[in-house]
Amino acid sequence: MQGPGGGRRPPPVRQGSGASSGSQRRASILSGIYANKAASCRSPSTTSDGKAVDRASLVGNKYATRVFDDEGKDVTPRPLFRSDPNTVVPRQGKLLASSAYFGATGSGFLSSFSMHQTSGVNGSLGSFSRTYGSSSSSLSNASTTESVLDEIRKRSHLLTSYNFSDVQVRQEEIKEWTKEDLDRRVDIYLTETETIWILDMPSVVVSVESEDAGRVLERNRIYVDICKNRPGNDRFVEKMMQTINGAAKNKEVQCDKIIMEDKGMLVTSWDLYDSFNVSEIEPVSKAEGSRATTGKSSSTTSSLMISESAVLARIHEEEECHSEAILTSENFQQNLFFMERILMENIFQPKLAAYRQFPVLIVKEAEQEEHDKEKKDKEEQKNAFVDPSILSDLNKTPEEIVPPRLERLWSYICDLTNGHSVSSMAWSKVNPDLLAVGYGAFDCKEQKKGLACCWSLKNPMWPERIFRCEHGVTALDFSMASPNLLAVGMYDGSVTIYNVQSCNDAALLDSSESSNKHTGPVWQMRWVEQDRSATGDGKKERLICISADGRITEWFIQKRLDCIDLMKINRTESEKKKLPGEKERKREALISRLAPGMCFDFHPKDTNFYLAGTEEGHIHKCSCSCNEQFLETYRGHKGPVYKVAWNPFSTDMFLSCSADWSIILWHQDSQTPILTFSSSTAFVHDVMWSPKSACIFAAVNESRVEIWDLSASILNPVTSCFANPRVKFTSVLIAKNTDCLLVGDSKGEVSVFELQNLAAPNNNKVRFTRTRWWSSEACMLVWYFIPPKGASVKDLANRY
Amino acid sequence: MAEVEETLKRIQAHRGVVATIVVNAEGIPIRTTLDNSTTVQYAGLLHQLTMKARSTVRDIDPQNDLTFLRIRSKKHEIMVAPDKEYLLIVIQNPCE
Repeated sequence: MQGPGGGRRPPPVRQGSGASSGSQRRASILSGIYANKAASCRSPSTTSDGKAVDRASLVGNKYATRVFDDEGKDVTPRPLFRSDPNTVVPRQGKLLASSAYFGATGSGFLSSFSMHQTSGVNGSLGSFSRTYGSSSSSLSNASTTESVLDEIRKRSHLLTSYNFSDVQVRQEEIKEWTKEDLDRRVDIYLTETETIWILDMPSVVVSVESEDAGRVLERNRIYVDICKNRPGNDRFVEKMMQTINGAAKNKEVQCDKIIMEDKGMLVTSWDLYDSFNVSEIEPVSKAEGSRATTGKSSSTTSSLMISESAVLARIHEEEECHSEAILTSENFQQNLFFMERILMENIFQPKLAAYRQFPVLIVKEAEQEEHDKEKKDKEEQKNAFVDPSILSDLNKTPEEIVPPRLERLWSYICDLTNGHSVSSMAWSKVNPDLLAVGYGAFDCKEQKKGLACCWSLKNPMWPERIFRCEHGVTALDFSMASPNLLAVGMYDGSVTIYNVQSCNDAALLDSSESSNKHTGPVWQMRWVEQDRSATGDGKKERLICISADGRITEWFIQKRLDCIDLMKINRTESEKKKLPGEKERKREALISRLAPGMCFDFHPKDTNFYLAGTEEGHIHKCSCSCNEQFLETYRGHKGPVYKVAWNPFSTDMFLSCSADWSIILWHQDSQTPILTFSSSTAFVHDVMWSPKSACIFAAVNESRVEIWDLSASILNPVTSCFANPRVKFTSVLIAKNTDCLLVGDSKGEVSVFELQNLAAPNNNKVRFTRTRWWSSEACMLVWYFIPPKGASVKDLANRY
Repeated sequence: MAEVEETLKRIQAHRGVVATIVVNAEGIPIRTTLDNSTTVQYAGLLHQLTMKARSTVRDIDPQNDLTFLRIRSKKHEIMVAPDKEYLLIVIQNPCE
């Protein structure tokens, strides 16, 4: 707005009405000094209350209005405007009503006041007075105000003229001031003035019954008529008038920089969720006060965290303690555990996929190489990938049968187990990926501390659990009823039970206190579920062991392990034919009347019966209900029987393997062997039927592992895999959920082999006839299947 | 503590593992097999990525949370186990 600013540089518009500008200037001098708030500004000063300030008179004092404070000090604000002496100050005739419209700018400037002239108006100086009054009210001192106002009132005559000289005087006056005056601090207070009423015409209400009522009504009517007649009436002319806005003046003020801060936040739905829950959850106080949570007490996951680059200054010791805390925290250990497993998965992924029988994908580079050097790469690839060409071949030519083979996938081995020999392996009953392996010494003479480890499929490089045992482990088995119990039998005859859930080494139960424990190595132990139909308890589990002291014992788990004898294996005299002519020999002096037992197996269907193999080479069929006598004895082996195994499908047949290089297939009703398999001149340490197929079993002798398929050949194994020259295979275990084979050896390594291209599993019962030829070259056996429902014998005959 | 150290050592010794890094929440390495500048770089970048991943997971379902992060690139695989207080980073060359 062009208020007083306009006055400063005499605007051409104003020159016309010269006087006013002068007064403007004057007014500007005064009111420019005082800040007037809009409230007061708005009020156009039309006071005709006679408080006309005689500016001239004031000036005539040769002084500007002066302001004094309490102490009489002259605190007259100095003018902001120094009028140019050269400019002509026109006489100012009438008065300017100041209207102040001030600073609609609202900048709160001192200079924001404008005077505008009203043409010929009795303009009141009221404005002056007003402004003055208002400005005076802004003075700190009321009394001064009073005095000044009084002065004004005294000279209540119109402003006449304003002399240029006055300004001069003013200026001269100004020059007289000293430096201290100039430097004096001036306080300016801005306040709001009271409301100034310009026109107040309260409406008057007259009662209808009063005497004036008629007149009032008449007048109202006339007024309404006038209003109606107004548009279009000659008597009423609309006239526009331009008001001149005063010039605006800018005032700059310097102040301290206002510091602005922007804070932005990304609100996410989880942030809201957390904040909502924080009020419900007790805030976790962090001892180190690690996170600078601005304003929030506990929520460390708020999105504020993201934006903060939290680097707190800490003392060194605190850091160390904190890092220790991190490393030992439970969470960290678990994460490490997962990380290791994931690493393993990355390393072993193709092998594990083959284990799980997934179709493995081919990597592109491999394909190209394949064309180049087929043979060499095929071998490498075979380890990991299934060659697509073979697959497609199979699809095309179903008649062409690829021979089964054993594929070595990986082996469970670590530093710990190096040097031990694998004596026994057992699957966990609930988790088919969990394997328990017992390590002892291969040679019976060198006995050292043994080890029982639980390996998981997910980490082939380090066992999940390590249980160190005092003596070499010779047998172990997982429990069925409480799958976390692992029973371990040792070379000194003691039996220990471990809890696999806990990580520590301590045994849950020990047989050391038992008075009846074995005095010889426990060669086999098994948890057996038994139908206690008599008591009607349902299935109950018992731990049965057989050991070299000739006893088969059942262990009870009460407060401590204790056992009772199920059976004592008495030595049976061998039915040697006495040579004619020989005198009757004296009975051999026996150290013990008991024959060491090597192995046993309970009948899969009826757990009352079991077989026991002895060191003499005899296999006894025994019953739990009778512990005096054997039900039957099978003689055929010439060396210690290392393993007996019932066929899980044809439950009348069982296998036995022995140190006399042979594996014998028996029928439980026949005292003589049905079939003998001998393929090598090495002790056969272990044999196991395949859980999926009735005709397949795996056997391991010292130099190789063999897979026999009775439906294919009874003379030779269908496939075999040789061991490393210095290593002897000691035990075998077939996986239930996949076509894989585990072979333990004397170096402590458990190798996992995949059985590929084996004949389709069938668990039809195999019935062997009795007719056979005892020809050593062509031992032919006629046997036939019991055909499954729907199939005909002819089909089966065609197949084979 | 010894067990933790042992496990860490085993992880570092595995086939193909390029580096193992444990950093705390401020990005200060607690255990590392790389030089400091690379460690700090990895820690800073992965921290941001983990935050973003966690934010993504939780945005979809606030009751869910991020447990593991794996980034497979041409040369390496970076595996990150995030936690409120630390980051466990393992960089591995996948087999073959």
